[in-house]
Amino acid sequence: MTKPRADAHPERTGELLQGTLDLLILKTLALGPQHGWGVSERIRQISGGTLETKEGSLYPALHRLVRKRWIASEWGVSENNRRAKFYRLTAKGRKQLAREEATWRRLSAAVNRVLEAV
Amino acid sequence: MTLRHALRRALDRLPFPAFLRRPTVERELDDELRFHLDRAIERNLERGMEPKAARRAARRSFGGVEQVKEACRDEWPGITLDGLVRDVLYGLRSLRKTPGYTAVVIAILALGIGANTAVFSLVHGVLLSPLPYPESDELVVLGQKAPGAGVEDLDFSVAEIADYREQTDSLELAEYHGMTFTLLGRERPERVSTGVVSADYFDLLGVEPVLGRSFRPEDEAPGADPVLLLGNTYWRRSFGADDDVVGRVFQMNDRPHRVVGVLPPLPHYPAEQDVYMPTSACPYRAAAQEAMHENRNAGRMMGLVGRLAPGASIEQARAEVKTVANRFEREHPDNYTEDLGFGASVARLQETLTREARPLLALLLATTALVLLIACANLANLNLARSRRREGELVARAALGASRGRLVRQLLVESTLLGLAGGAAGLVVAYLGLDVLTELLARFTPRAAEIALDGWVLVFTLGLSVATGLAFGLMALPPRFDLARALRTDSGRGPIGTGRRGLRGALVVGQVALALVLLAGAGLMIRSFVGLQRVQLGFDPEHVLTAEVSLNWSKYSSIEGELAPEEAEALTRAFWHELLDRLDAHPEVVAAATADRFPFATTGSPFLQEVTIEGRAEGPEAVEPRADLREASPGYFEALDIPVLRGRTFSERDHADAPAVAVVDRSTAEHLWNGRDPIGRRLSTDEGDTWATVVGVVGDHRGYGATDRVYPTVYRPTAQAGGAFRVIARTRGAPSALAADLERLVYSVDPDQPVAEIRSLERIVAESVASPRLTALLLGLFAVLAVVIAVTGIAGALAFSVGQRTRELSLRMALGARPGEVAWLVVRRGVLQVALGVALGLGVSLAAGPVVESLLFRVEPADPGTLTVVAALLLVAAGIACWLPARRATEIPPARTLQA
Repeated sequence: MTKPRADAHPERTGELLQGTLDLLILKTLALGPQHGWGVSERIRQISGGTLETKEGSLYPALHRLVRKRWIASEWGVSENNRRAKFYRLTAKGRKQLAREEATWRRLSAAVNRVLEAV
Repeated sequence: MTLRHALRRALDRLPFPAFLRRPTVERELDDELRFHLDRAIERNLERGMEPKAARRAARRSFGGVEQVKEACRDEWPGITLDGLVRDVLYGLRSLRKTPGYTAVVIAILALGIGANTAVFSLVHGVLLSPLPYPESDELVVLGQKAPGAGVEDLDFSVAEIADYREQTDSLELAEYHGMTFTLLGRERPERVSTGVVSADYFDLLGVEPVLGRSFRPEDEAPGADPVLLLGNTYWRRSFGADDDVVGRVFQMNDRPHRVVGVLPPLPHYPAEQDVYMPTSACPYRAAAQEAMHENRNAGRMMGLVGRLAPGASIEQARAEVKTVANRFEREHPDNYTEDLGFGASVARLQETLTREARPLLALLLATTALVLLIACANLANLNLARSRRREGELVARAALGASRGRLVRQLLVESTLLGLAGGAAGLVVAYLGLDVLTELLARFTPRAAEIALDGWVLVFTLGLSVATGLAFGLMALPPRFDLARALRTDSGRGPIGTGRRGLRGALVVGQVALALVLLAGAGLMIRSFVGLQRVQLGFDPEHVLTAEVSLNWSKYSSIEGELAPEEAEALTRAFWHELLDRLDAHPEVVAAATADRFPFATTGSPFLQEVTIEGRAEGPEAVEPRADLREASPGYFEALDIPVLRGRTFSERDHADAPAVAVVDRSTAEHLWNGRDPIGRRLSTDEGDTWATVVGVVGDHRGYGATDRVYPTVYRPTAQAGGAFRVIARTRGAPSALAADLERLVYSVDPDQPVAEIRSLERIVAESVASPRLTALLLGLFAVLAVVIAVTGIAGALAFSVGQRTRELSLRMALGARPGEVAWLVVRRGVLQVALGVALGLGVSLAAGPVVESLLFRVEPADPGTLTVVAALLLVAAGIACWLPARRATEIPPARTLQA
């Protein structure tokens, strides 16, 4: 069982992921439509347990992204035969994802350079 | 995608109010989160946890379900209404928890907004709303002036009206003048104010009668059957709004008039009249019409109202009127002499009706706006203090996930709620005070009748309430919301306390400055009023009863040709002789007299007439001296207690066949004879046709409203010069004792003679200063209110600051600071702010001086005495406000706080 990292202050994780959470969600959904639980699990798995999304941040983020029309929602049947709300990436969302990915890469590259310079 | 699905999506996109969609959306949210929770529990079970533990762990990891739901709801579009409702409910709850604050705020707002609402009703009714006549911006009033004769408002003569009518294309004109008639045919003879108008008068204004018909051109033809239109107020008052009145015939003086209609309840221009008749029905007018070609001045008693012709502008009309006036001077140089300064003008009717009221309205508007500003500043301070106390609650909400925007919205909703509540209460305040204000305005404009709390006023109040609520809410917002610092339980220093100190200080300075301005204004008005009270009248108005007894001139004059002039005069003299005898015989009467006017009978200025002095060799271009001519019977001077300085006044022996005499007042003697003894000298008031010998000199008097000006007066006896219209009598006791008997006495001489306007002179004089008195009272009230608000604001701000610095102060005292030093430390800022405020206020008062000059009497706007007193008052009040917190500061025990 993977526990959340000890030094991950709940508040801070939420804050940190505000902007990046959107990016992660979009990326996750680019792999295919998924419900909220699925998105959360996927992020956890792919990040190797480092990134845990809090429900308190995830669902508002999902709803926000729906409002921005980057993702769309639909009720369907889950893999365990239960009714669940699925989200999928829209065309607009795909464009936004590309934009944000580019920004992220640029930013992190810059930060890396600074860190390596010293 | 099915059609239903597509429809759902489309609906989702619309900003539908949540409560329409809520059941489904809420249920879906619930389902979604429940699904997640179930999956989390499942996973915990898979990992080997016990069911109970699994559920607990999942729930804990989830956090608060409700919070998550809230956060999701925040993200939904177009749910603002739902969120707003929640904010409102939350605001109401939190306001209920602090009833003291809520009550104080609503009370202050009620006064501030109420005052503004009332004044706005005045401004709207009088200035902003268009006149209730169709196309009212086309309506104009013509005016003439002759400043050389001391007249700013010169009536039009028949000849002049004819000229204006013929020689202007851009104007349609209608004439009017006011008279009084005796209406006979009912239980008592009634004196009615009568508007005599040209037949097109009501058509020009666009006034449609509510009953019957208006005047037609045929009604004005010479020899037409006399007709009558009733004014709406008179119809209601005297006829009980009887529908059958149309067609009835009444005798106006001696001629039967048939009522053809009743007018609607619209404001009358220029003044409210009881009835109206066409020009052909007025014998004075008819006589003047016949004389107009020989006498240019015949019938100089008319006013002219007009409507701009289609497509004409007021500038065109002005130019035309000016041309016509210039032509008068050229073609009739004897009538329009150089020294007269004759001129004619055109003004919009709306402006003319409201001109006198403008300064007062501006003053009231400025005052109430200032009071509201002060109140807002004060409320902002109160709100700041309250926010400080609510820190804990706000911090908790922030920790639970409320965004800063959400919190701000919450606080603003709360203050707006207060604003709306204050506005509603303010409406009540305005409603209560509107009558008094309307009565005050009625002295300045006939449009006062249109003042009401109507739709626009309500809209204004709503807007002002919301704006005020937002204003003092915004002013009290915390600048930054640093959660981390807030969570530290530091005493006294929270995120809300530290910031905004500059703003609080500025608010105090502003309040003090505004309060000073208001105080200064009130002080000046009070001094004006006191000055008016002290004006030396030159006569004694106490114990004097006055009444108007205008003789039915159809019976007593030769104007209609039935009596010869001598017969008419004899009849008139007989009437007055009889009446005065009976009055003198009355036990209550000390002295009785008749005169054409008595002091304060009319307002405005008198028309000064030329007086020729015998023996003065004047060149042809010399300007004749002018004086106010008065006709009075022998008892006049005694009745009014006007001192006799030299010689004698009139007596019985100055009758019609005796040599013509006159009495002058002191200023006339000064001006006309350069201080030499005028007794025995002769003067003429008709350019040398007849001469009168001066037999006495009396004291000056001031008789034309609340003014300093003395008009030189020349008196002639009524027995010789006619002009008896009014009765005055000095009574032993209260004038009211004579009032009842007066009518009876008049009826005993002539049963068809109505008596009107029975009033005591004291009341008339008091009424003449009623406006300044009321204005001074109002301003004084507002000023006191402003000072109270400002002073509580200062005290509150200082108390707040003391609360902030408790630890610091007690530290200082523990370190050896004396109580006096500590007190000074606290008060230092306050004193500085007050001093700054007073200085600023003085500056503003001086700068705004010229604006209020027209409203003042015998006092300069920059009067140093008033300003000094006012500044001192405010400093003392502020000093008291500072004293309490200072004392509290010194009472902070040093030891206790150090332990904290």
